[in-house]
Amino acid sequence: MKPSAWRKFLRTVFFIDLIEGLWVTFHYQRPKYIYTEQYPAERPKIGERFRGAPRLNTNPETGETLCIACNLCALACPEGLIVVSSERNEKTRRKELTSFTFDTSRCMFCGLCEDACPTDALELTQDFELASYSRQGAIWDRQMLEEGPRPTQYVY
Amino acid sequence: MPETTYLDATELVLNMGPQHPSTHGVLRVILKLDGEKVIGTECVIGYLHRGVEKIAENRTYAQFVPYVDRMDYVAAVSNGLGYCLAVEKLLGVEAPPRAQAVRVILTELNRIASHLIWLGTHALDVGAITPLFYCMREREEILNIFERYCGARLTTHAFRIGGLQYETYDGFERDVRAFCDMFLPKVDEYEDLLTGNRIWVARLKNIGILTADECKAYGVTGPLLRAAGVRWDLRKAQPYSGYDQYEFEIPTGVNGDSYDRYLVRIQEMRQSVRIIRQALDGLPGGPIMGKVPKVIKPPVGEVYLSIEAPKGELGYYIVSDGSTQPYRVRVRPPSFVNLQALDRMCRGALVADVVVVIGTIDIVLGEVDR
Amino acid sequence: MRQCAGARVCDELMSADKPEGKPQPATKSPPAMAATAWEDELTRQLKQHFGSQISEFSTYLGQQFLVASPEAVIPILEHLKQEAGFDYLVDVTAVDYPDRPERFELVYILYSFARNHRIRIKTRIAEGVRPRTAVGVYPTANWLEREVFDMFGIEFEGHPDMRRILLPEDWSGHPLRKDTSILAMDNRWVKEHLGIESGQ
Repeated sequence: MKPSAWRKFLRTVFFIDLIEGLWVTFHYQRPKYIYTEQYPAERPKIGERFRGAPRLNTNPETGETLCIACNLCALACPEGLIVVSSERNEKTRRKELTSFTFDTSRCMFCGLCEDACPTDALELTQDFELASYSRQGAIWDRQMLEEGPRPTQYVY
Repeated sequence: MPETTYLDATELVLNMGPQHPSTHGVLRVILKLDGEKVIGTECVIGYLHRGVEKIAENRTYAQFVPYVDRMDYVAAVSNGLGYCLAVEKLLGVEAPPRAQAVRVILTELNRIASHLIWLGTHALDVGAITPLFYCMREREEILNIFERYCGARLTTHAFRIGGLQYETYDGFERDVRAFCDMFLPKVDEYEDLLTGNRIWVARLKNIGILTADECKAYGVTGPLLRAAGVRWDLRKAQPYSGYDQYEFEIPTGVNGDSYDRYLVRIQEMRQSVRIIRQALDGLPGGPIMGKVPKVIKPPVGEVYLSIEAPKGELGYYIVSDGSTQPYRVRVRPPSFVNLQALDRMCRGALVADVVVVIGTIDIVLGEVDR
Repeated sequence: MRQCAGARVCDELMSADKPEGKPQPATKSPPAMAATAWEDELTRQLKQHFGSQISEFSTYLGQQFLVASPEAVIPILEHLKQEAGFDYLVDVTAVDYPDRPERFELVYILYSFARNHRIRIKTRIAEGVRPRTAVGVYPTANWLEREVFDMFGIEFEGHPDMRRILLPEDWSGHPLRKDTSILAMDNRWVKEHLGIESGQ
């Protein structure tokens, strides 16, 4: 037989092609780097720009909300799930935020509201643990928005 | 399919139902079998139909961009690119060169991610479980890059009409280069596992053959058309977003069978890495957003623009009536049109081959059903 | 124009500032677009063969299209496939203009590999008109026409399998027509099954 045909015959009979594949898997048996993350004991490292749970920011010094009730986020939302209500404060002639409702059950976390906010009041944080036990629990009002969700911490 | 009665003992109608691990989503295939041989197939789709085209008529142009990601959810960046390019063409705006280069980088990364999912799940269907884990491991790196760049891993909403929203983050170039360097040896690894493997070859060679003429007749595009021997790629034929600046090859096959499609997609991954490196080397500075008005109101008209998505030709036909909301958005999904050819490809095959063929077409039900 | 369809807020949180108004998808037909005339070798050939059946050759944004009468569409497709080398049917779709007497505009998009060129063939048909199917010319049209039927209700004559493809078999109505309002559908379902007026 010709050398190439001989080689092919030997490869077939001695399962060389299968052994090559098995060698790839076997050389991962003592891996230098384990890819499994032990969640929930250690939470993963998330990028800064991650679009997670929404949060209404407050001014760190005064504690007042940064939201000026301009309604731009509600207009930008494709689903229309933000409801901003405000009243006009006669003394300062400005609108003041009274209530702010955000329906996370229909939110697709697209980030359009965050992009639209002129004062950086509404921000999508890196929280991704938004589960709640009821549908009502997914509709967040102002207080929940400012504090953020509090997922259960697992201690091992 | 002609009617069969219970007394007809030679033909069996088998339902490969919407819940099936190998149908890549909620696809129902009704098989008409003679023993193990397939006589005819019928696809029932629509389980994931969300009415995206109707939604488009009720949203403004900028608000519709997140919905577009959710059609082909595996390659969300390509969908966004197609839509943004179509609206930009209607507006007559062009994204600045830096935005175009970053778009190319992200789209090619997305192409690699899509092909990795394809490879992993296809190998899993055929029976090789290991490539799935390896592909997912590489895909993690890509998804991490997406997450650091635009904030989401899967439904990225990466592009805006007119350019980009976010400037590239600080370690972007380093991360992408590290990925490219890490990835090419991994592709060799996948080839070690699969290409010469006699089981793989026996399962895939001469299965699901679609010749070039049949491809053109059925409107099949993408890697299936290239595996049939037609050297056609929309990135070269009608370049968009600066693809004419980059040098890359179009891998083609010979027979048009599943094995050739596998080889074509592996080569495409390598060519994508080549494009990414070229784009990174020549990344221009400058603005990332073109001159787009605050309220997007394109003039009355219509446009059809298609791009080379990882699955085939993804086209957007947008009719505008001059208002802020599109009058009609039609998405021409590559998986929908490619899936039509399933019947042709499964003639005379065995039941196990149907699984292989569904895998090689590379369908994503989100795109088939929209 | 904003819509807030389906914002399921509980009653006490519903505030006065909520944007009012039902969603208003466009129902009026858009004005004509600023298309310019298209004239080249292909149009001359087509004019020669089909004469008056093609009413308009135009181009907009560099994309060429022609408007033909409904009976002439299949012969034009056949001619383009055999003589002019347009061997790939990219898409079959329709647009609904409820104002016009011929409310649907059926659009065929063809591509030629040899010329690397795309053209569109449009035709205007009224409701109830059944155009001939393009399956004989391009097998691609099979599912594409089923989808047009499903979404718009345009039946194609001679189609081997004219059934709904994306929606369930027993669905009534054709969603992409402009008179089908998603909000009305939602309100009907909610009234019937939950007994309340509206989910808004």
